[in-house]
Amino acid sequence: MKKTLLTPEKIVKKLKDAFKDKIKETRIETRKAGQKKKEYTNIWIKIHRDAFKKCVKYITDKIDYPHLAVVSGNDLGKNIELIYHFSVYYGHRLGEISINISVDLPKEDPRIESICDIIPGALITEREKQEMLGVIVEGIPDSRRFFIPDDFPEGIYPWRKDEKGPQKFVRDLYEGDKK
Amino acid sequence: MKTTYTLPIGPIHPALKEPVMFEFEIDGEKIVNVDVKAGQVHRGIEWIGTQRNPIQILYLAERICGICNISHPFAYCRAVEYIADVEVPEKAEYIRVIIAELERIHSHILWAGVAAHEVGFDSVLYLSWRLRENVMDLIEYLTGNRVTKAMFTIGGVRRDITKDQYPKIENTIKYYRENMGKLKHVFLDDKTFKLRCRDCGILTKDNALKLCAVGPTTRASGVKKDVRVDQAYSAYGDLDIDYITPDILTGEVKGDVYDRIVVRLLEVEQSLDLIEQCLDRMPTSGNIAVEEKIPKLLATLKKVEGEGIGRHEAPRGEVIHYVKLTGEEHPYTWKVRAPTYNNILPWIPMLLGEQIADIPIVAASTDPCLSCTNRVAIVENGKKNILTGEDLHRLSVEKTRRLMRK
Amino acid sequence: MVKLKSFKRALWVFHLNTGSCNGCDIEIIAALTPRYDVERFGIRLVGSPRHADVLLVTGPVTRQMEDKVKRVYEQVPDPKAVIVVGNCGSTGGVFHESYNLVGPVDRIIPVDVYVPGCPPRPEAIIDGVAKAWLKLEKLEGK
Repeated sequence: MKKTLLTPEKIVKKLKDAFKDKIKETRIETRKAGQKKKEYTNIWIKIHRDAFKKCVKYITDKIDYPHLAVVSGNDLGKNIELIYHFSVYYGHRLGEISINISVDLPKEDPRIESICDIIPGALITEREKQEMLGVIVEGIPDSRRFFIPDDFPEGIYPWRKDEKGPQKFVRDLYEGDKK
Repeated sequence: MKTTYTLPIGPIHPALKEPVMFEFEIDGEKIVNVDVKAGQVHRGIEWIGTQRNPIQILYLAERICGICNISHPFAYCRAVEYIADVEVPEKAEYIRVIIAELERIHSHILWAGVAAHEVGFDSVLYLSWRLRENVMDLIEYLTGNRVTKAMFTIGGVRRDITKDQYPKIENTIKYYRENMGKLKHVFLDDKTFKLRCRDCGILTKDNALKLCAVGPTTRASGVKKDVRVDQAYSAYGDLDIDYITPDILTGEVKGDVYDRIVVRLLEVEQSLDLIEQCLDRMPTSGNIAVEEKIPKLLATLKKVEGEGIGRHEAPRGEVIHYVKLTGEEHPYTWKVRAPTYNNILPWIPMLLGEQIADIPIVAASTDPCLSCTNRVAIVENGKKNILTGEDLHRLSVEKTRRLMRK
Repeated sequence: MVKLKSFKRALWVFHLNTGSCNGCDIEIIAALTPRYDVERFGIRLVGSPRHADVLLVTGPVTRQMEDKVKRVYEQVPDPKAVIVVGNCGSTGGVFHESYNLVGPVDRIIPVDVYVPGCPPRPEAIIDGVAKAWLKLEKLEGK
């Protein structure tokens, strides 16, 4: 099935028409590389968490089955920001476009829906967010810890910059036996 | 009740990254369920990164993985250059590509030796690692060190490749073109290898797409995903490059262990081509870095704000780094994703239905950067039996001898 | 340099990775391959610590691996020597402050020889094993 490749501007327009006011901001950035100055494009979208899963489904159905690279997270003080890095149109020479969707979660209620039923490969990265940032992913098929050992205390989230961070556990290795 | 007691009895040769725990449920000789537990090498690097300045992070990024230690600085530099909107000089782009392709050659030949050892052919391990020493000599000649090369800096590279170094590069390429035939013949034409590897550990195209597999693992299943071809970055946009899938050599795509061997050996030849193209097109004079003095570079980076991502096709797949700078001395966030973490989930469909003796070769065929053999729990008539890495390797070798006798 | 009059024993080596980046590990295997070839002295890698004379440890020790390192050390029969390869195990190296690392290897098990480098060249690793050999011969001679 041959599909037509949409330009980044058309992709943003389609998403804006489908989700209207749930999309808070978008930006398109291009960079050039090499002698022939070929371009590649990144689209950054900020969306409300209620519309997030429908947005992923929309991209899967109407644009291309996306490749989820990773989910990165920021601790912004009052909110936790999760950024999902997708890419579409792989398989076409110099045609790939990166779509980065970011979702804001308030710290009192850091829940988000799991996308494991659309993209099963998201399991490991969602587990990592649960243990590193304290996000609760609803509907995740397996919610055990992935990287951190089981005897690490609950409630300490290494990527957080507030009182729940790992400061108490940091050791300076070259101090030797002083500690 | 499954026990989670583990002992790090590593694999027989430690050419893999971290201890990882598997728990298999086995019915007779066939695997019924697989559980993967990782995390024994979690060093907290992303947290350490937020305590250092951007140049110190470069040296930290090199030591995330010793085998693909150009890929992580490459992706990190791309991310920071994206934020600062810095254009890297053309000569530096070509030097970056040459070093990245040399690393790919060394990593694939290293993997070929490891895979042969898992099947039981130790002499092929020694043959391929002897072949690998030539590219290690070339890397030492160009960069000064065999393993941690430290060639990258933000905005360019640190050392130049001048015209009087070209003859040694060309000699090494010639040596490999003559000798890759030997390695290909041993792997691809040998009857026992075919019996062991054909139709073993199959990953279908559908599963590869859904589980977001990356690298040669997914290309061997027919999915065309390669960051160098998909995206224009560094000098790859100017070069003549295409996706490597197994039907180029064998005419069909099955997604088994044999196909992954084919893809990696073909990629070595592709890398030799790419290095030759780079030597032709590289400009012979010019800057190699946007800013060579480090204090000035750090001062510029302190004024920059924003977030960016950088991706690169490492020998094992796609590496992605995400950096957020907020105008302070340390970055606000640094996220690293090595390619093996996307390739862990595909182990589950690959191993279901296989025999225990096939576990080492199937797990090694995805080229994991982990030492993957801690514990195998067998449920047999209700009794628990624990196998270790040593036993798995012995079973794998015995199966090969059985096939050879037929 | 002390001349070894007779090679009384061929050293069998067990390699233990406590969370390293693999750089030291591939240089250890490179020491066995035909370019540097320590197998001509009888040094070989074994698969179980119970058969080993020398323990080669790499990596800063992560929290998960701490008690496993102790158990492996107890499984190696006497007389034994422990060699730490690389900067991470000696002093922490680049990972000198982290929340998941328990410390350089000598906080957990006693160490005889340190081979610094990030990663050390195969020649340096062979030199380290030779020093451990001398130490073992001295222990046996007593």
